[in-house]
Amino acid sequence: MVGVLADKIPFPPSVGDFYPPDIAGSWITKFTLFVWITVALVIAFFLLAYRSPKLVPTRLQWYAESTYGFVRDGVAKEIIGAEGVRFAPYLTSLFLFVLVNNIWGLIPGVQISPMSHIAFPAALAVLTYLIFNYVGIKRFGFWPYVKQQLIPPGVPWWILPLLIPMEFLSTFILRPLTLSIRLFANIFAGHIILLIFTLGGFVLFASDNFAFKGISLVSWAVAILMTFFELLVAVLQAYVFALLTAVYVQTSLAEDH
Amino acid sequence: MTGDQSPKRDAAQGANMGWAALGYLLAGMVFWGFVGWLIDHWFHIRGIATAIGVVLGAALGVYLVVKRFGA
Repeated sequence: MVGVLADKIPFPPSVGDFYPPDIAGSWITKFTLFVWITVALVIAFFLLAYRSPKLVPTRLQWYAESTYGFVRDGVAKEIIGAEGVRFAPYLTSLFLFVLVNNIWGLIPGVQISPMSHIAFPAALAVLTYLIFNYVGIKRFGFWPYVKQQLIPPGVPWWILPLLIPMEFLSTFILRPLTLSIRLFANIFAGHIILLIFTLGGFVLFASDNFAFKGISLVSWAVAILMTFFELLVAVLQAYVFALLTAVYVQTSLAEDH
Repeated sequence: MTGDQSPKRDAAQGANMGWAALGYLLAGMVFWGFVGWLIDHWFHIRGIATAIGVVLGAALGVYLVVKRFGA
């Protein structure tokens, strides 16, 4: 009965909901548009904040400095150590880029994050992969670096053939996969959850049954609650992405594990 | 190790170790489970080698976690 009455409401949500119509040709989609807006916002934020830096910072300058300071001290220096400062600009850009992209999923009228498509987290994971391998190879040379990553210290030689494939799998294959899937799946699932509770509320409201109409209010209340939860997830996942990038760089640079 | 590690750093390292431990366990079970599965197919035995591979992989994963992160 509910299904018949609620025919016009696209419920249940499906993967098709993650493909809004193209804006102009198949290369300009809602996602590419908002990725470019994100890039513009992040650049504009730092350019405006540091246009005329003051010793006593203006409000915008204070925001920019505390964001950069948070990533430099809280992520780069904490994880990588003193030399982590040279990775701080990249980590800050990465953090803000992921954060703003995640938050698009909660902005009314946009309401979908580019990060809910695997391509965007995957591209960022490829960058992380290139960076941590590059800094490791640059520091130790190719074979010493690979040897250091694959051979755990203090292990008898006869067990190494069993362990090396696992080290290879976890360091060089699973790392970029888990990094991208973690971000993608969190944002994707968040979007699905919001769709279910919002649209589900409409489906319940459209039903003839009085009790179902009442429950729709509960559904919408949960949707509002989940929106705040998704805000937390958006910030947390951006932080985790930058943090793990720093951790991978650190393990590449470490002398010994 | 050194005494100058802040609690925040310890927390971050702890989070990393959690992810890495999970990664090693998964890697062990997936890789040696896959090898076992191949053996099953080559010799037409039904699932015994896969089971042994998964258990062996998990054990090796635990061993690797202890070696990499153990005190």
